[in-house]
Amino acid sequence: MRETTGLRVNGRTVSAADPAKRLLDFLRDDLDLTGAKEGCGMGECGACTVLVDGEPVCSCLVLVGQVADAEVVTAEGLAAQGLHPVQEAFVQAHASQCGFCTPGMIVSAAALLARDPRPDEEAVRLALAGNLCRCTGYASIFAALQRTREP
Amino acid sequence: MSEPELVVARSRAELRALAPTGKLIAGGTDLLVQIRAGREEHRLIDVSNLSDPPPVMSQLDGSVELSALAPISRVIGALEGRLPGLDASARLFGSIQIRNRATIGGNLQNASPAADMVPPLVAAGAVAHLEGPDGERDMAVTDLAAGPGRTVLEPGEWIATVTVPLPDGEEGFRKLGGREAMAISIVNLAWRWSRSEDRTLSGVRLSVGAVAPTVIRAPQAELELEGRRPTPEVIASAVAALRAAISPIDDVRGSAWYRREVAGRLLEEALYREGGG
Repeated sequence: MRETTGLRVNGRTVSAADPAKRLLDFLRDDLDLTGAKEGCGMGECGACTVLVDGEPVCSCLVLVGQVADAEVVTAEGLAAQGLHPVQEAFVQAHASQCGFCTPGMIVSAAALLARDPRPDEEAVRLALAGNLCRCTGYASIFAALQRTREP
Repeated sequence: MSEPELVVARSRAELRALAPTGKLIAGGTDLLVQIRAGREEHRLIDVSNLSDPPPVMSQLDGSVELSALAPISRVIGALEGRLPGLDASARLFGSIQIRNRATIGGNLQNASPAADMVPPLVAAGAVAHLEGPDGERDMAVTDLAAGPGRTVLEPGEWIATVTVPLPDGEEGFRKLGGREAMAISIVNLAWRWSRSEDRTLSGVRLSVGAVAPTVIRAPQAELELEGRRPTPEVIASAVAALRAAISPIDDVRGSAWYRREVAGRLLEEALYREGGG
């Protein structure tokens, strides 16, 4: 079995003993990075969203051996140098209620802002279509993203 | 349930040797869900880390060759709107997270009757290039599926690329699902046609999903439209022919009656909104 030595998580090189483990379980159980959450385990809810080489993916649908040479960033990694602007905006806009969806939302939103720094509401809705929230009704989340557009 | 092991193929040559020894996994967005639901696989062979993958997109003379192994988001990005129907279906395919992993090859190989990438490829007359331990061969995309979840691929064969003729006229895609994102189609429809100045339709090709064991063409409905202007009478005949050609079932997402109704409505809407009717 090939060793997964090229994997970097939040800038740190890590190795995974079991390439067949889900990336989500590897992050949570082996690395103690509990930001990514398991909601549905089927790619429907987006609570487990992380960046793989800059692109948002559901970490419940990726095996760690499939991303052995990739750069993975979790919600924790976005806050490595203080809160990411999206995280700051979520705080300011009270965009969390129970908070379960928040790390996934933030990762998806950060990916959106990385490719489109001033997204309109339609772009925000499309970018967050794969992230479900059962508390906020989304209004406060869209308001948080609106904040990141303001000068 | 015991977890399957994962073996990563590093090249196409390695994949040819490994493929017959397990189940191929690309994006895994369907397969991993099925495994968690109880599907038995002892060994997964990853095809997403090849050092020599097919190019994401190659422009050929009158057609484009698309990687079946690359994430759908990358293929659609590279297409830059050359295939509006495929583009429309991709934008409604899962979510960004899913499109960043899922592949055209996976969607074809999974052989869901409701697969959203398939109708635009069938309507376009796309051809899949298969690779396997015994060599390579081509097969029309419409011939790949044998039934729900089953393809005619030989053990160890995989879909490497799909060649799609560029449209002479227009192409489009519509689906009805519970919501726009992340919804399995209740019915989906793809079309191609050309319109002359007096609105006469030609080269009509229709493909419809989730209304039969596989994604199907609707040749009788195509014939009703071919060489005609889409008047209300012609549209009504085409809709009737489409409804007669399909064999939908009742399931949790919709009844057979509803699917038959909606399939006709999708065609009607396409013809009135985009077909000059």
